[in-house]
Amino acid sequence: MKKEMSSKESLELITQMISRAKEEAAGDGSFQLLLWGWVVALCNFGHYILEKVGYDTPQIVWLLIIPATGVSIWDSIRKRNRARVKTHLDDMLGGIWISVFVGMLITLSFMSTLSFQQNPIILILAGIGVISTGVLVRVNVVRNGGILLMAAAVVAFLLPVIDQYLVAGIAMIFGYLVPGYYLKTTYRERV
Amino acid sequence: MSLLISVEEAEFTFLKEKTESTAGNLSVQLDKLEKAGYIGIEKSFRGKRPLTTCKILPEGLKAFEDYVETLKKYIE
Repeated sequence: MKKEMSSKESLELITQMISRAKEEAAGDGSFQLLLWGWVVALCNFGHYILEKVGYDTPQIVWLLIIPATGVSIWDSIRKRNRARVKTHLDDMLGGIWISVFVGMLITLSFMSTLSFQQNPIILILAGIGVISTGVLVRVNVVRNGGILLMAAAVVAFLLPVIDQYLVAGIAMIFGYLVPGYYLKTTYRERV
Repeated sequence: MSLLISVEEAEFTFLKEKTESTAGNLSVQLDKLEKAGYIGIEKSFRGKRPLTTCKILPEGLKAFEDYVETLKKYIE
């Protein structure tokens, strides 16, 4: 004979199921933050150091962005295809980060027009992405990392172009890597 | 239904795992929900393997919300 559930048991079951769905949908979320945090920090520090020592083409470090973009896209597609659930959050986050990426590409295309002050603008765009992500996934550490990127943009605007690379490198550590490692280590507890 | 209201769409294997039901049992239940107009079922392939994806429909969402409201009233 089928067991009838009380109203309370029914509501508890519903809550439990919603929780299980969110758990699966949440994912780790840290891969992109860690990938870009490391790559951009290394490129910024690399550029700064090479320029300081008088190397002719310090911008060569930025070639690392090309494979990083490939890895980033490959991972996004792979995760999306393997996911057993799709949520509105995926679409929202996807939309935000694609917009940020396009904004960065446009900014970098007009570097000379900006008198090579592109670093603060890149930091603002990254800040928008990270703050939005932090707010949407409700993790304050991520949101605060984004706020820090915005503050770093202000600092960068006040400094000479060469020092902007140093500021950006430091900003990536606190704005991307710290939130990224936080998400990675607290993943199971958060959901 | 609780699983499906939380997501845009979900695969059959996900629903089976989370509800801890058998494939046969789940199929029957999903069929009933589809016939009632509460969920949509899409059958496709991932490579060579068949893939069944479900999503809640507006009517299903309304019915579920009404059900939860009724449950809450009973508890109060």
